[in-house]
Amino acid sequence: MHNLGFALDGAWRVLLAGLALGAGLPVLFALGIRSLAWSTGGDPEVRDSGVIAPTPRPSGKVLAYLLFGTVVLGVLLGIAFIVASGFGKALSFEHIYPTIVSKH
Amino acid sequence: MIFILWLTTHRAGDDRRVTDTSVILALVVVTALAFDFTNGFHDTANAMATTIATKALRPKTAVALSGLLNLIGAFLSVEVALTVTNAVVKIQNSNGTPKESLTADGGTALLLIVLAGLVGGIVWNLFTWLLGLPSSSSHALFGGLVGATIAGLGWAGVNWNGNGSKLDGVVGKVLLPALISPVIAGVVAAAGTWIIFKITAGVAARFAAPGFKWGQIGSASLVSLAHGTNDAQKTMGVITLALIAAGDWTDTKNIPFWVKVACAVAIALGTYLGGWRIIRTLGKGLVDIAPAQGMAAQSASAAVILASSHLGFALSTTHVATGSVLGSGVGRSGAQVRWRVAGRMILAWMITLPAAGVVGAAMWWIGHLVGGVAGAVTVFVLLIAASAGMWWRSRRIPVDHQNVNDDWSTTTPPAAPAAERVPATAAS
Repeated sequence: MHNLGFALDGAWRVLLAGLALGAGLPVLFALGIRSLAWSTGGDPEVRDSGVIAPTPRPSGKVLAYLLFGTVVLGVLLGIAFIVASGFGKALSFEHIYPTIVSKH
Repeated sequence: MIFILWLTTHRAGDDRRVTDTSVILALVVVTALAFDFTNGFHDTANAMATTIATKALRPKTAVALSGLLNLIGAFLSVEVALTVTNAVVKIQNSNGTPKESLTADGGTALLLIVLAGLVGGIVWNLFTWLLGLPSSSSHALFGGLVGATIAGLGWAGVNWNGNGSKLDGVVGKVLLPALISPVIAGVVAAAGTWIIFKITAGVAARFAAPGFKWGQIGSASLVSLAHGTNDAQKTMGVITLALIAAGDWTDTKNIPFWVKVACAVAIALGTYLGGWRIIRTLGKGLVDIAPAQGMAAQSASAAVILASSHLGFALSTTHVATGSVLGSGVGRSGAQVRWRVAGRMILAWMITLPAAGVVGAAMWWIGHLVGGVAGAVTVFVLLIAASAGMWWRSRRIPVDHQNVNDDWSTTTPPAAPAAERVPATAAS
């Protein structure tokens, strides 16, 4: 059952990458949403009444867009991968930042 | 049609056997494009079911976007997937050319196997669509090819377990990924959903709603694009293989441009048509999906599909998308997961390979018994009859873009034939 070995070896790598990108990026995105809500000041959470004159918090907005930017970078990485593999290339993470190399 | 005319005139001066090949080749090409079309509408749900269920996009807008991205994706795939059948059957050499023993008779031996295999794949795709069950189109195609190959060449013609050097064969490319992929996608989606709900608990809807809407549209678009690049390539490979077998193409490094255009258009049109019955099951049947879950599920699908194809461990989009939706239900506390529906799906996945295989094998025998052009035409006519029958059956409980989002429990689900005996008046 050599196939089982190959499959399990592939499976845990896919699981790790999936958790990092597939759960990690949406979590950053959710943090961005939370931070954007916080930036408007006052109470970002739903209140029945009585919230008067909220003080804006610009830092929340900056943080939110930093987080959204990270997510967009992740999405661009995904598109780059699809396009590269369509052209018979692969993404290499050898230099930390991704570079397009030919498939070996 | 134009293609058939071209082939007939192109080959008019040749001897009769070659003309026979041309007719069978034309049937194979048309059938392959039909398979590509079913591949498209069967898989619309994978990208768009959650987006439609959470109303992030209107149903028609969602299928149009997915169709367009599939079209773009198909044109992006420059790489030639000529050796696609090598994963499960031995009808090609490792460089992609057909086995010489199958091309002796003008290529008709290979063409009949491919034709019967494609018919097996289409029939299973349509049958699962009728039942509203998402099932892998690649596995249906592989099943059909395996069945037709067993019928034509015997058990030894099938690549059951690979040669031990890499993940290969029916076990390595079909069975194991089908078991593993929903679990991986489910774990990722469950983790994502659970954390997202913790983070955004209590955040006002005016911040959360547009955020999750765009998150879903973005991740669903990635899945659509990846689908176009991966799946259209398979049909392109099959058609090019048929062309080489018939002696109409020799280049194993490139595919004819018209093949690429035809396959891209077929998969995009299929996606745009939308397999509404499957979209309904995946979007409404398994879990009642909130926007945050939709985003978590689609992101998990996109990441798992891309990561697996990057690591050379190709997974079926269908199994990944279904696992993600289930995971998003498990990860949200208090959500109800309809395990009965999930069980039906998993049962369908387990019988995809043998069921499509039985149809493929039967088609090969029928084609072989009748023989020659008449045999291929018989198989083609049977395909049309089966497709028309299933389409006609589907009209009895139609599902389309208007009722795709109806509440699952109060209406007759398309997948429950027993329930339709209840008179319509009983509900009122």
